[in-house]
Amino acid sequence: MNFKHKYAFLLPGLIVLIGILIFPIIFTVRLSLSGWNSYNPELDFIGIKNYIRLFTEDPRFWQSFFRLSFLAITTVFLQYVIGFALAHVVWKDIKFKRFFRVLFLIPMMTTPVIMTVIWRTFFHESLGPLNDFLSIFGVQPPWLSSPGLAKVSIIVVEVWQWTSFMFLLLLAGLLSLPKEPFLAAAIDGASPFKKFIYVTFPLMAPISIGAIIIRLIEASKIMDTVFVLTSGGPGTATETSSFYIFIKGLREFQMGYAATASFTYLIVMIISLTIIAKVLTKVLMKE
Amino acid sequence: MPKLYTFIKYFCVILWACFVVAPFLWAISTSFKDFNSVTGGATYIPWLQFEPTLDGWSVLFKPGSQGGINIIGPYFNSIFVTVTASLISIVLGTLAAYALSRYTFKAGIVQNNDITFFFISQRIMPPVVLSIPFFLFLSSIGLLDSLAGLIIVYIVLLMPIAVWIMVDFFNRVPREIDETALIDGCNPFQAFFKVVLPNSIPGMIVAGLFCIIFGWIDFFFAFILTFTNVQLLPVKIVALNSSITPWWSLSAAALVSVAPLIIVAFIVERYLSKGNLSGALK
Amino acid sequence: MSLNINNLTFKPTNEYHLNDITLNFKPGKMYTILGRTLSGKTTFLKTIAGLLTPDSGSINFEGNDFLSIPVWNRNIAMVYQQFINYPHLNVQENIEFPLKQRKMDPLLIQKEVSQAIKQVGLIGFESRKIQELSGGQQQRVALARSLAKKAKILLLDEPLVNLDYKLREGLREEFKKLFSGEEASQSILIYASTDPLEAMQLNGDIIVIDEGRILQSGSAKEVFENPSSAKVAEITNDPAMNINKGSIENGNLILNQDIKFPLPAHLKHMPSGKYLVGIRATDLHLDEQGFNFDVDISEISGSETFLHLHNDEVKCVATIEEVRTYEVNDRVKINFDLSKIYLFKESGELEHSPYKN
Repeated sequence: MNFKHKYAFLLPGLIVLIGILIFPIIFTVRLSLSGWNSYNPELDFIGIKNYIRLFTEDPRFWQSFFRLSFLAITTVFLQYVIGFALAHVVWKDIKFKRFFRVLFLIPMMTTPVIMTVIWRTFFHESLGPLNDFLSIFGVQPPWLSSPGLAKVSIIVVEVWQWTSFMFLLLLAGLLSLPKEPFLAAAIDGASPFKKFIYVTFPLMAPISIGAIIIRLIEASKIMDTVFVLTSGGPGTATETSSFYIFIKGLREFQMGYAATASFTYLIVMIISLTIIAKVLTKVLMKE
Repeated sequence: MPKLYTFIKYFCVILWACFVVAPFLWAISTSFKDFNSVTGGATYIPWLQFEPTLDGWSVLFKPGSQGGINIIGPYFNSIFVTVTASLISIVLGTLAAYALSRYTFKAGIVQNNDITFFFISQRIMPPVVLSIPFFLFLSSIGLLDSLAGLIIVYIVLLMPIAVWIMVDFFNRVPREIDETALIDGCNPFQAFFKVVLPNSIPGMIVAGLFCIIFGWIDFFFAFILTFTNVQLLPVKIVALNSSITPWWSLSAAALVSVAPLIIVAFIVERYLSKGNLSGALK
Repeated sequence: MSLNINNLTFKPTNEYHLNDITLNFKPGKMYTILGRTLSGKTTFLKTIAGLLTPDSGSINFEGNDFLSIPVWNRNIAMVYQQFINYPHLNVQENIEFPLKQRKMDPLLIQKEVSQAIKQVGLIGFESRKIQELSGGQQQRVALARSLAKKAKILLLDEPLVNLDYKLREGLREEFKKLFSGEEASQSILIYASTDPLEAMQLNGDIIVIDEGRILQSGSAKEVFENPSSAKVAEITNDPAMNINKGSIENGNLILNQDIKFPLPAHLKHMPSGKYLVGIRATDLHLDEQGFNFDVDISEISGSETFLHLHNDEVKCVATIEEVRTYEVNDRVKINFDLSKIYLFKESGELEHSPYKN
């Protein structure tokens, strides 16, 4: 079927999207080639000086990438494992199924920033309930002022917030699986463990990949949590790429340089995500 | 063995349930406190450990001039922006998704999958990257600090979601139904509106739910692109988060703001059980 | 009033889906397009419908160039093998749909719809939802919708293939009755099928298609008795006609060292040489005086047994009219009904059939 009408369907959305995006994208690229900062708020042209600076003189940017990868991969992994376990449990035989399902969906429906604000009070080192509880054991860990623990705090909040999303996607996937393979497994007398390894997990492979990639895309944008909970600190312990760009652009007003970092970030992300998608597909589809 | 398995199952579920509920309980408790109750160390149970007050709550509804915080305005702003942007995204996104599902496009080396990828890749951009250009863009057309400006930006955020979900949905509606409509005398537009669309309501509801969720929870764009005229809920609340934060009103405001989406959680669960979300992935 | 198709070619990838097809269809007749899966039947129907655009060739109907008319303006109807109905409408609304689209007078619509419902035997089902119907009933709704349209060209793409056996037989008879009525004499009916038995039962004109090419076109009787090539003979029989290499020498027909027999009457005049020898599975019988064959596969189907046999390089399938069990490598004795032997040139064209002259 190939009618001219197809353009009428596609173009409104495409044009609106491109229309809204085109200025920002072109502007970002153009900005990255200028030296716009607070002393020199002009759109001059300095060629690729910014890029050279980014690639040779700015280890902090690349460190932020590593931190981001660490945080993103850890949180997504935890979310996947926990989300899958939860989805599996509330899938079929359990009391109060609907109650638990609704309950487990709630975190993703909340505004991350707002919840993080609450978490901030929760993790408060002297007045928060967490340390109050832990003081029974004689420890009062400095959740937000130690580099290592700050990362843990971020992971905890992210996992709280977004496991729910994984849970949703995976539960939807489980509910859509055909019954036949499970009937066959039951007839063959497979134990629940075997059933999971040989039937459930392989059938869920395409959905798992989709969910992981979607979450990785979202997780790499981690911003709200960092902004409210730790402001990238202590020091630069939880400074992710987004946050670094934010500082450079909207705190230090080095707009040109921030644009450079943004554009580079975008390219690196697109490449890495495509690679990860292809690798995951190969690995999980082989089973 | 099965007994042990059941025990572990319930244990884990209840453990996680506690984890989910913990911040809410803390917030509820805190919202009833006052200065002394907060600074004297952590306290939990009202009346037993501290005197509850309604300060935290009442201050939410007082306008700023009386020392209040007034979240009602921002509340409605958030609803308006989210719903409008979602509707526009769903309309445009569904049309585009239909085209991508049914027709082949070829412009040089660019094909259907590339176009779909383009739509979906908008999600990769962190708000930070787009915020500065959007800031300048909106100020140049005079839409900074306005509802319309924010809606325009949200469309970029939400249309990819609508496209992603609807493309997958349309792929699972048999083409033959479109073809039969054509044979029965409909041109492609009529075929879409009279036949395909009425059968796509479940998909569109799912897309709608996801758009509303992701629109409501945005913080960053609202933060950068609005100041005084227009304020959205998340921004308002974070603005309270300074070092002299009144924890009680903060907690109360937070609870009020997350309440509506709990209703959405119910709706999503119903759809889940009916099996309508199942294909949203590729 | 005829549908003329000339040199239709469609080659979307590296293979021909339609390869230089030229056919003429007259109203009042049932045409069966017979071919194996992926031979181009569906592509052909969709091209006539307008859902696909050919690379070259022309389609003329009633003097109009069809190719310049979009799908929705060609007055056609199509029934698919998957039961396709509008899921959001009930039976009545489904059948009304094309008529409403044409903005016909509501009273007239009601009359046509009632008549169509009567014709397919679904009286009383008008307000049922499609999902509540069985497969056979859904297909009847699709059929009723096509009938109500009074389309000049009716295309059916293996409409019965997804129904169970009994239903298929029943509906097929109803089809024949429906389409021998006087309204049917105004329309052209094109029915696609992979099943030779079905094609024979429908008893219209058969058009044999393979790899996008038309191999033969003629009445069912003609195509059955005189297949124009070995390939046609394979396609138009189920099980496929047995084709083996053979030769004529000294008045004998020789398949291999073991299998030789004197030429039957209708082939006595054939010159010596190499040929392809064809015989239907039903023309092979168990016979104590027959040739030895080893059993490869023994299939029981209904009340018949299909034996897949070989004798060295000679392979054939025999239809035995009773249920018997055989094991692999059993030895059986088979004889040929010599009066039913076909002779094809080595290149495949029909040389001589039992029915000519």
